[in-house]
Amino acid sequence: MFEGVRWSWSRLRGPLLALSLFTASAVVAACTENLEGGAACPALCPEQSEQFRDTTIDAVALDSSVGGFPALGIGSALLLANRPDTLVTRTIMRFDVLNTAFAPNRTGAVDSITAVDSVFLKIPLDTTARRGINPVTIEAYDVDTTARDTVPAVLRSLFRPDRLIGTLTLTPFTTGDTIRIPISKTVMAAKIAAKARLRVGLRMVGNSGQLRLRAFTLGISATTLQYDPSTDTTYAPTVVTAQTTLPGASEDVNIAYSTYGLIDVGSPTPSPTTLVVGGMPSYRTYLRFNVPLRITDSSTIVRADLVLTQQRSRYGNANDTVAVYPLVPNATSDVSDLRRAIDLAAEGRLVGVDTALMVPSDSGQKVINVLALARSWRTLTKTVPRALALRIGFEGAQPAELRFFSSEASPALRPKLRITYLPKSEFVLP
Amino acid sequence: MSHCVTSTNPSRFTVGAGCWTAALLAVALAAPATGQAQGTLGALGFGYPVNGMSTRASGTAGAFGDIDPLSPINPASIGGLTRSVISAQAEPELRTLTFGQLREKTASQRIPLLAVVFPAKGGVAVGFSARGFLDRSYTTNTSGTALIDGNTLATTEQLTMRGAIGDIRGAVGWQIGNWARVGLGGHIFTGENTAVRQRTFSDTLKFGGTLDSSQVTYFGTAVSLGGEVRLFAGFSAAASYRAGNSFEARVRDTTRAAGTVPSRLGATLRFDGIPGSSFAVGFEQVKWSAMQSMASSRTTATDATNIYGGAEVAGPRYRGIPILVRAGYARNQLPFSAGVQVVRESRFSGGLGIPVAGDNASLDFSIQRANRSQAGFTAREGAWLFGIGMQVRP
Repeated sequence: MFEGVRWSWSRLRGPLLALSLFTASAVVAACTENLEGGAACPALCPEQSEQFRDTTIDAVALDSSVGGFPALGIGSALLLANRPDTLVTRTIMRFDVLNTAFAPNRTGAVDSITAVDSVFLKIPLDTTARRGINPVTIEAYDVDTTARDTVPAVLRSLFRPDRLIGTLTLTPFTTGDTIRIPISKTVMAAKIAAKARLRVGLRMVGNSGQLRLRAFTLGISATTLQYDPSTDTTYAPTVVTAQTTLPGASEDVNIAYSTYGLIDVGSPTPSPTTLVVGGMPSYRTYLRFNVPLRITDSSTIVRADLVLTQQRSRYGNANDTVAVYPLVPNATSDVSDLRRAIDLAAEGRLVGVDTALMVPSDSGQKVINVLALARSWRTLTKTVPRALALRIGFEGAQPAELRFFSSEASPALRPKLRITYLPKSEFVLP
Repeated sequence: MSHCVTSTNPSRFTVGAGCWTAALLAVALAAPATGQAQGTLGALGFGYPVNGMSTRASGTAGAFGDIDPLSPINPASIGGLTRSVISAQAEPELRTLTFGQLREKTASQRIPLLAVVFPAKGGVAVGFSARGFLDRSYTTNTSGTALIDGNTLATTEQLTMRGAIGDIRGAVGWQIGNWARVGLGGHIFTGENTAVRQRTFSDTLKFGGTLDSSQVTYFGTAVSLGGEVRLFAGFSAAASYRAGNSFEARVRDTTRAAGTVPSRLGATLRFDGIPGSSFAVGFEQVKWSAMQSMASSRTTATDATNIYGGAEVAGPRYRGIPILVRAGYARNQLPFSAGVQVVRESRFSGGLGIPVAGDNASLDFSIQRANRSQAGFTAREGAWLFGIGMQVRP
């Protein structure tokens, strides 16, 4: 039936092959899909986006300030201050084990220590917190006692002249990164001879001043007691690290009590309408939220701000900028003790909640971005309260505090959550 | 009807001997992979009507759709087949949207049709196929604003839509003597659309982006029947009708919208009076408005009337078997629009059917140029569709 057709393969083979190759090439070229468009939107994109919704809610179901932070042994720094109108502190350092023997140079023998020389308490400093341009005196007292010396009143009573074992006069603002407080050689020799312990209490007297001591480094006390084990000063000095042992106490408690502070004059206690972050002693603020599930679970939160109304604080370094670190409590509601819940909280940066900077003497509304936290709530089980805690930078070693109105204040001043969210919608149908 | 089966034979409904029945039909469940960009004229609403014709029919702009056994439209067309046929094809599309000074190009891949037909006894043949029905795959990137706390913020939105509705058909065709064929088909229309919308703010520190998704699955059924009859002097006529049943759109376990699978009526007049050549003209009416109840008020579904004409002629011989050359033209109406005006499409097509391994296999190529426009709207759309199909007749 095709005999009448004059076309022949030999004549058209070339064009056909070319056409085939062209078609194949086009197919291959189109293999890489590119479906991205939108130039003609919205005219040709009739799907409508759901509108964002704003809401500001008194979402705080529970708020409280919890004091006593940081726990002993946790803070890396201590303040030694004499600012009678603001802050007066003392520092206790325990050297419960003193070396009573030494190895003379290159002899291989071990000799008992019968006399000491050049006895110093060597304390590293954080120079960023030096205050005071006039000379101050740091007094060291022997605060060893058989009485219950974990009680502050007992310790304070031991800061008396007959127990003074060393002094150092310095100008805080010009101090380097370490101070060396001379300790009585007689007292030290007697302690060694009696195989007794040395417990030193420090306080600053004279003019107003402040030093920030490095308390712990890598989990051990940063302060050392150094002395020459002989009157021959060519011998290498003996170095003793602060350490103590409390009967029946755990290791972390022992470390905590190796170096710690006492506060004689501190920040005022917060009122029920006030939430405090920082201070001396330092407080943390805990806020528990109750946000509707339609927002946390059935919507996408695009903005979440914790709106706090700040009160002006006049305490301490009120005009210095301080950092406020968020903490994310993630213990279940079985942990009803707020102090415990805060202790178990994770650092906010782990969930993307950033640090905020504030000035204590400011007042008015302050906003903390808690977007990442709010977005994480949908992943939490229902037994985990939706909460946030705030702590101050250099907690326990910075005489500054931030004060905010609590949920017991008038409605306009209470903490609020300002949330913008996009409700989930079924937008797939045209 | 495949060219190797019918076109070379003056008696179109007499096919060669030798039946092969083999394992089949994994292919029936292979959902058509389709792609199309919205933000275009062609893919509004539930998507672009792929039609899912064979490459042969595409080469005639759809004019052979009602008489082609591998195009799952008219179940009668498979009646009388004496050899099994397995067919697969691809049809990428390169599309250019012109909107004022803007020109936007997209490329999409489709596998519009997988089909298998095998003969039984007494002129009966059975076919299974999976074809694209509505293709709704696109991505749009747009800039916008959001009003938050009284402030207008710049946003960027990306909407990614993927998915398609396919038409899975099982059909029986019966050839009655040399003068007529009839057929009956059952259709399942199923598929899904998944939409992912991502919105980001220019201020990423204060505002978080959104990522939302939504998925809908479709399920519907239809029955089709058709016939083809020889008339006189090389003329024959074919007609088919698809009666749609319920069509549901389900989001998770809930039926969110319901309508009816669009009914379709098509008819084709064919002329085989010139040896080695076939000519066909036809039309179809599709009742797309049956899906209006499944859509929101933003989408208008309009019944479509499509007309087409095409030819297939024997070209040069390759190893004793002629190469078939095809051409066609169609004027189509697209089913969905964002307004009252219908999107219209004109389509020119051409194609080749090249025998491979004697008459045991063939390669079909098609090329189509589609131009789309909507009255009252300045956007114009042009598309090249390249089809390549492989048929194996074991």
